[in-house]
Amino acid sequence: MRAFGLTLLAVIVAAAVAAPIAAPYPVDRQFRGLLNAPPTVPHVRDEAGAWRAPFIYPWRIANQLEQRYEQDRTVVVPLRWLSDGHLVTSAGAERMPLLLLGADSYGRDVLSRLVYGARLSLAVAVAAAAGALLLGALVGGIAGYAGGVLDDLLMRGSDFFIVLPAMYIALALRSAMKLVLPPLEVFALLTGIFAVVGAPFLARGVRAIVRSEKQLDYAAAAASLGAGHARLLLRHLLPAARGFIGVEITMLIPAFIVAEATLSYVGLGFPDPVASWGTMLQDARSVRTFVDFPWLLSPAAAMFLLVLGLNLVVQHAGVAPVYNDADGSPRRLRADSDTLRS
Amino acid sequence: MIGYIARRLAFAVVLVFAVSSASLMLARVAPGDYVTETLGAGAGRQEVEEARARYGLNRSFGAQYRDWLIGALRLDFGRSMQYDRPVADLIPERALNTGILALTALVVATLIGLPLGVVTGTRRTGIVSGAIRAVSLVLLSMPPLLTSLFLVFAAAKSGWLPVGGMTSSSGEGLLRHMIVPVAALALPLVAMFERLQSQAMSETIGQPYVVATFGRGVPLSRVIWRDALKNALRPIASIYGLVVGTLLSGSFAVETITAWPGLGQLMLGALRARDVYLVAGCAAAGSVFLALGTLMSDAALAMVDPRTAGD
Amino acid sequence: MRLSIAALVLLAAGCGQSPTSNKGSASPSGGELTASIRTEPRNFARFGPPETTTYLVALLTQAGLIRINRVTDDFEPWLAQSWTRSADGRQYTIKLRPNVRFSDGQPLTSDDVVFSFDAAYIAGWTDSLKVDGRRLVVAAVDPLTVTVTFPGPFAPGLRILDNMIVLPRHKLGAAWKNGTLQTAWGLSTPPSELAGLGPFVLSAYQPGQRLVFVRNPNYWRRDSAGAALPYLDRVTLDVVPDQSTELLRLESGQGDMTASEMPSDAYASLKRGADEGKLRLYDLGPALNPDLLWINLKPGAFAGDPRASWLQRDELRRAISLAVDRQLFVDTVFLGAGVPIFGPVTSANRRWYWSGIPAVPHDPDQARKLLASIGVNAQRPARLTILTQKGRPTLERGVSVIRDELKKVGVMVDVAALEGNALVQQIYSGKYDAVYFNFLTTDTDPALSTDFWLTSGSAHFWNPEQKTPATAWEAEIDALIRAQAVEPDAAARKRMFDRVQEIFAEHQPAIYFAAPRIFAASSTRVGNVMPAILRPQLLWAPDTLTVSAR
Repeated sequence: MRAFGLTLLAVIVAAAVAAPIAAPYPVDRQFRGLLNAPPTVPHVRDEAGAWRAPFIYPWRIANQLEQRYEQDRTVVVPLRWLSDGHLVTSAGAERMPLLLLGADSYGRDVLSRLVYGARLSLAVAVAAAAGALLLGALVGGIAGYAGGVLDDLLMRGSDFFIVLPAMYIALALRSAMKLVLPPLEVFALLTGIFAVVGAPFLARGVRAIVRSEKQLDYAAAAASLGAGHARLLLRHLLPAARGFIGVEITMLIPAFIVAEATLSYVGLGFPDPVASWGTMLQDARSVRTFVDFPWLLSPAAAMFLLVLGLNLVVQHAGVAPVYNDADGSPRRLRADSDTLRS
Repeated sequence: MIGYIARRLAFAVVLVFAVSSASLMLARVAPGDYVTETLGAGAGRQEVEEARARYGLNRSFGAQYRDWLIGALRLDFGRSMQYDRPVADLIPERALNTGILALTALVVATLIGLPLGVVTGTRRTGIVSGAIRAVSLVLLSMPPLLTSLFLVFAAAKSGWLPVGGMTSSSGEGLLRHMIVPVAALALPLVAMFERLQSQAMSETIGQPYVVATFGRGVPLSRVIWRDALKNALRPIASIYGLVVGTLLSGSFAVETITAWPGLGQLMLGALRARDVYLVAGCAAAGSVFLALGTLMSDAALAMVDPRTAGD
Repeated sequence: MRLSIAALVLLAAGCGQSPTSNKGSASPSGGELTASIRTEPRNFARFGPPETTTYLVALLTQAGLIRINRVTDDFEPWLAQSWTRSADGRQYTIKLRPNVRFSDGQPLTSDDVVFSFDAAYIAGWTDSLKVDGRRLVVAAVDPLTVTVTFPGPFAPGLRILDNMIVLPRHKLGAAWKNGTLQTAWGLSTPPSELAGLGPFVLSAYQPGQRLVFVRNPNYWRRDSAGAALPYLDRVTLDVVPDQSTELLRLESGQGDMTASEMPSDAYASLKRGADEGKLRLYDLGPALNPDLLWINLKPGAFAGDPRASWLQRDELRRAISLAVDRQLFVDTVFLGAGVPIFGPVTSANRRWYWSGIPAVPHDPDQARKLLASIGVNAQRPARLTILTQKGRPTLERGVSVIRDELKKVGVMVDVAALEGNALVQQIYSGKYDAVYFNFLTTDTDPALSTDFWLTSGSAHFWNPEQKTPATAWEAEIDALIRAQAVEPDAAARKRMFDRVQEIFAEHQPAIYFAAPRIFAASSTRVGNVMPAILRPQLLWAPDTLTVSAR
């Protein structure tokens, strides 16, 4: 299962890295007359029943205001592979693009935006998660280890950052920036804000774990052997929180991706036409999405695959106690109800 | 013990003031004010100045903050410019509405999420486990805005449930109106609790004392549900307070889409309209809830893990 | 198909009828109407600048001396029963309707009218009741007669009285004396304290949820058969902040209508509902208030900026107008449900629209030539920033079309989508290149929107509140607007305003691309709807609305 998770993650990251090749079109390429067009499904057998190289039928607009399309089965548009630096695209002219995941409300290819958007969303989410991890684990670890007034101070400090309205901070920060946002600054700001906002959840859980682990025998043993505070914390206690941290991170990452769109409400986001999963989902916010344009929810599906992969990778990374077997070799006991029964 | 509680209380008060002060300061820095909100783009300079003077928005920050602080010490938290009512009246009203949702969602999510987490944590393979895990992950990948919209959409299509609102105009039907927003709040929580509990359970169940208990002949379900569970509640207990605190501050996404007049919607509206005293009040209320929540959390932790009590 | 024809017939019938007619033999009476609003009103007295919900509440509970019929665009006697005009045309002697009572039973007298004018000048939309910056002088002659004296000739005449409502002196007089009038009748006022001359009375306000209005037993108006109005027993306004949820409520039958129009992308859902017989769809034609792009034309705004040599030139704006394919604009932004426009007055303003306005062709080559003539070409491309408001789809999509079209002629556009109040603050500060925005006008008559047309106006966006006109053509527009505001002959007024539109089209201080078609919808049980283009499209005449039994 773990291997499957790793494969999923690898595919997603590869697609993001290879975006210019994997995506048939650039993110801002608008196809006139194809707003919210459905996906063009590749076929291999045509109307007459003959076998062909993969091709698509183009869309013809049936009603512009209602955004209804019908397939034009009289035209066969073959797919073009490995041309112009793209993995696959359609041989058709401007009017007959390959829309494997349909088009959005501006007529832009959803798949291309998904793949390019992965770069931005993953980068922000991973960087923010790393930041939150560092901050949260450190704060939580120290608080749980030290206890007393320092513990209170640190916890109340992290409470302060939870309660402070993040939107206001974003608004204030936005006003201090230039009118036209440089992408790098946006990236840095978003990462910073998310790291600060996500850290308290990690801090609390880590603190609780460290606090109780501290009372365990092995901690006392290590201390009596001469381990200093830092070593005790970093090498023995914090790793006990590994499992919790893993799960928490897999929940923070999709939350960050989505929150990027929420902050763009106050103007602190990547400007149009830059693609990110959060803003793509924001565009999908309409009743018609569920009934008529479900392909607009592809970023949610992509996030699901990402989270699934992450989950499969981290879920059994939690610490299980180590025993010494009869022959003296260390063994980790991985139990579940089945092995207990057996 | 008394000292501990006194210390927590003192910190809570400091937190409330710190957050309110920071909100007021941020409000000054944020561009625009209530006058830009009401008068809009086509207003003349003189009109704007007069309006600013009328609302007291042309004073220096120091003067404004000092007046607010003096009022706050008398428990007068200023007046909302949008609603022209004292902030101290508006907030409890909306907090009650949000509280009804939040507590119900919390109970529902705990009663569903926790046991599901135990199941997936102890049985790592199998279709049931896999299915539960998959559903959790789907729920975690959906933004709350879309989940709420989908639920409202489903309610509208099915025709049995009201579409938005808190009560019917005669004041009845609170329970029926609660179903959609509670579902929208609870579903992501269920996923979160399930994931956390699952992780904690799978760690606990490998512990020697669990194996030993089972070895002594205690039935498996008792081992899981009584002995292992108690110790596996630690991570959830630790963040429970945070969850309670943030839930009570209201989720503006859910409340906006389901037209539920709660604190989240109030706060967002106040932020947008630069209704500064109301924002400070909402932030203060949020910090009170959070302080209560974390106190609850630490009490729960102490219950679950008696080794750490009496700190 | 049958159902849509039926809907069309009903729509046509509704449009043709006069406001006080009723369909069928017996006058339909009773029933409850539910509408959704997106925000709560600001107050119950229509104080402050115009705002949709506050205005709607005033339509339900208050009344003015005259009323503008939104379908015919004429104004008609309302609380003022009749009036005569003095020889010099500056004074009107208005006879109030006799035996009119407020909703609390107190009689309406001229004292209330005089008081209401004072109140409007203190707390209402203050400058809207002024002519040339000066107030109207109002005096009571006898308990049922008032005189209104204009400071100078004013062509629209009593039409300006749409900007005030008659408030009860016995309720608000005290606040006026104390100087607290501007905050009187706020949202915390108990319903028993409110009194008005409108068809309904506020019976309950559930904060954050809804406002409930019941029939005013003392309402003065009767229909042509003599039956008492309003027909409805109750009107409920539910607060629903999200537009998608509003739409779902409408489709599921939980609400009868919305207070505002529906966006183009909701059309498909509404059409489906109409085809299934659950809804009635109204196509109200092109909008009255289109979106506009303007460049900062304040002299000296770009001092020290190398772009000063071309940024404020007429040629740039003409080039922009030529470079954008307006049909593409309509297709992308409004899904084809819109019309290309070339000036601030659209065909929706039937009385004042100049049909001779030259259509600007889509000519990128000509645009490039014009740009080259001011020093913008491939070697020295132009770059400017256009501000717009975040969270408003038509603005965001419109500006993205503008950006893409301008790129093709060598003008690089950076779009900065700011949050609402941040944008307004930026506009106040005057520190920007260009803005793409929309603002509500409330009247079709140009003499009542002088803030926009005059160089001294605060809504003269590209260069507001000028002390003296910065350019000759703006001075010409000033003179024409002032002239048409005092010109008694309607045809002459029209000619002058046509000339204003001509000058505007020539210099294009603001560039207009397209106006959407406005759609509204209601449930099928609502009758006597007279759809109009200004908000609230379906609720501007609430006293004659009817509903059939649920």
